[in-house]
Amino acid sequence: MSSWYKSWILLTGFILFYVAYLLFGAFVFSTIERPVEDKLKRDIQVLKEEFLNQSCVNATSLEHFLEGVLQANKYGISILPNSSASSNWDLASSLFFANTLVTTVGYGHTTPLSDTGKAFSIFYALLGVPFTMLVLTACVQRLMHLVTYGPISMCRQKIGLEPLAATAIHFAILLLVVVLGFFVVPAVVFSYIEDTWSFLDAIYFCFITLCTIGLGDYVPGEKPGQNFRSLYKISVMVYLFVGLMMMYLVLRAFHRMADLHGLTSFFQLPHCDEDIEEDKEPIIEAGHEDQHEAEDSAKPLDPASQTSYNTINR
Amino acid sequence: MAAPNLLDPKSATHNSKPCLSFSAKSITLSPREECQAIATVMKWKTVLAIFLLVVLYLVVGAAVFRALEQPHESAQRLAILNQKLEFLSTHTCVNHSHLEELVKQVVSAIRSGVNPAGTLTNHSSLWDLSSSFFFAGTVITTIGFGNISPHTEGGRIFCIIYALLGIPLFGFLLAGVGDQLGTIFGKATARVEKMFVQWDVSQTKIRVISTVLFILFGCLLFVALPAAIFKHIEGWSALESLYFVVITLTTIGFGDFVAGGSEIEYLDYYKPVVWFWILVGLAYFAAVLSMIGDWFRVISKKTKEEVGEIRAHAAEWTANVSAEFKETRRRLSVEVYDKFQRAASIKRKLSTDLGLNSTPELTPPKRILPVNFTDEREREPMFPYMTKNGSIFQNGLGGEPRRGDVAIIEYLK
Repeated sequence: MSSWYKSWILLTGFILFYVAYLLFGAFVFSTIERPVEDKLKRDIQVLKEEFLNQSCVNATSLEHFLEGVLQANKYGISILPNSSASSNWDLASSLFFANTLVTTVGYGHTTPLSDTGKAFSIFYALLGVPFTMLVLTACVQRLMHLVTYGPISMCRQKIGLEPLAATAIHFAILLLVVVLGFFVVPAVVFSYIEDTWSFLDAIYFCFITLCTIGLGDYVPGEKPGQNFRSLYKISVMVYLFVGLMMMYLVLRAFHRMADLHGLTSFFQLPHCDEDIEEDKEPIIEAGHEDQHEAEDSAKPLDPASQTSYNTINR
Repeated sequence: MAAPNLLDPKSATHNSKPCLSFSAKSITLSPREECQAIATVMKWKTVLAIFLLVVLYLVVGAAVFRALEQPHESAQRLAILNQKLEFLSTHTCVNHSHLEELVKQVVSAIRSGVNPAGTLTNHSSLWDLSSSFFFAGTVITTIGFGNISPHTEGGRIFCIIYALLGIPLFGFLLAGVGDQLGTIFGKATARVEKMFVQWDVSQTKIRVISTVLFILFGCLLFVALPAAIFKHIEGWSALESLYFVVITLTTIGFGDFVAGGSEIEYLDYYKPVVWFWILVGLAYFAAVLSMIGDWFRVISKKTKEEVGEIRAHAAEWTANVSAEFKETRRRLSVEVYDKFQRAASIKRKLSTDLGLNSTPELTPPKRILPVNFTDEREREPMFPYMTKNGSIFQNGLGGEPRRGDVAIIEYLK
């Protein structure tokens, strides 16, 4: 029973550490953001008063009006003149919305208004999320052989590096390529296309999107009068999907590398799970990877390890 | 000379047994290579098929969303425009541009999380400790509601670094919680199994029943109960509460509904309890979603098998059909040759009767070539010999007479 006991202790330790991490984050966010918020509050209050002073509007009717505006804004509808042209639910935007739904990014800049829409979203998400995970896993498995196992075995054979060193170097290179290709370059593109975004905003957007957090404060293609809006939205969708695949690939490579270096056995909780072949796939393949391929295709999701879902999310 | 029964069309069809020449031919590939070839072909196709299916799923979803939502959106838009016009008309001293400016500021304030409606004095901050804690939680679990989001540059940079470290950390935690849930579930299942074993129920039935029970119980505990609580405390409708629960626990997190996000007086322990519910609920949902994924996998495997079976059937059918076709062709050519021979002999008779020169304008031997007198099975090794023979025939030289060739030589004489 001692291993079970040990696992409970480890879990409690983890939870405590996690709570501490959250508290730390809360404290830092609070210190950074609160002054800005207070200033904004004061500014808007001043604005309201100014508006009330110079006009015949009384406070209650203004409140009423503002509430209506805010209600509409919650659903992405603005009464500002140049934003009335494009709908939030034309085909490209709906496609974009469906995509944010199934990849669990969930910006929230447009949300279903009707009750039927909400009910449909529930079912659509419950089916679509595992479906997307399945596709992502299947694609990533193929890519792993192409991107990870192949180069590493080549490295070993041609240069004759030690396996540990080879995996570490390969992972570093992979990480660099992914960061450059999926964060820096898209950020440059976004900051160019969207006038109000700075480079930092664009990188922040890329990161928040590719981690599927999807806060929704920055959403591309929402500028009124955007040229080629449908094409833009669809290309953002493609970027999202491919980026997610690459993130998952990097994560997988990291897991395999950590396995090799013995890190995961340090972190993993001791529990008896059915060891599935796929998890034991070493990052360095001696060449007969094809035998695993049949099993890989048969088991894109490993049900026993609970990390699969959350890791897939990234 | 009487034609051997090989030439008899009726018996010919009886003799030839169309077999799966594909399987016979493929012996040339070594079994492992063939397996490999088949495995890789199937897998690329599978991935492509699944990918196309996902794209189709997205397009269908987009169409449905559009059909459902666009009318509502237009209605809302009309309503707010009317309200604006009404406002402008009742308060004539307000000019258009001022109002637009105000609205723009209000909207951006809302985006920053500041609600300018009502007086601002008794509003709690969005960045007090408990709300920041909640925000940090939404970042790490990748839910990302978005009703609160950092607006300063420093806040954003910190958010990135924080998430980079926090998401894997949360992943481990989720794994741990999921494992504990799994062990609890396993123990409960074992106990239930012990109970059921007395009644002589089969193992698979127990498994299925326990899975269903797990889903139902989990739904009750992590979905229905919280939804009811949210409905009561937040004042949402039942559908909205359920919608919030599903959207949160799948980590989509739109943020249109957020527990603890409205202007109600909450109890002190409300938000931490919500966060704890999110943690355990996420583990439960991860289990459920991976189960759904397993079903997809099983279904796709079954479909693959069925597709494989259909393929095998199709191959067999094609082989049969082509064998029949060749058979018919052979029969036809034999018949044609038959008639041809008869015509030639009649002509010869006539010419000898009439004393005309017999000039063999027709060259029947050339026509014999495509005819096979042997079965499918013997066709392969026979064929090269046959063509050689045929060409020898063409030249008029005698070749080694095989079974079927006897008749031809006879007729030529």
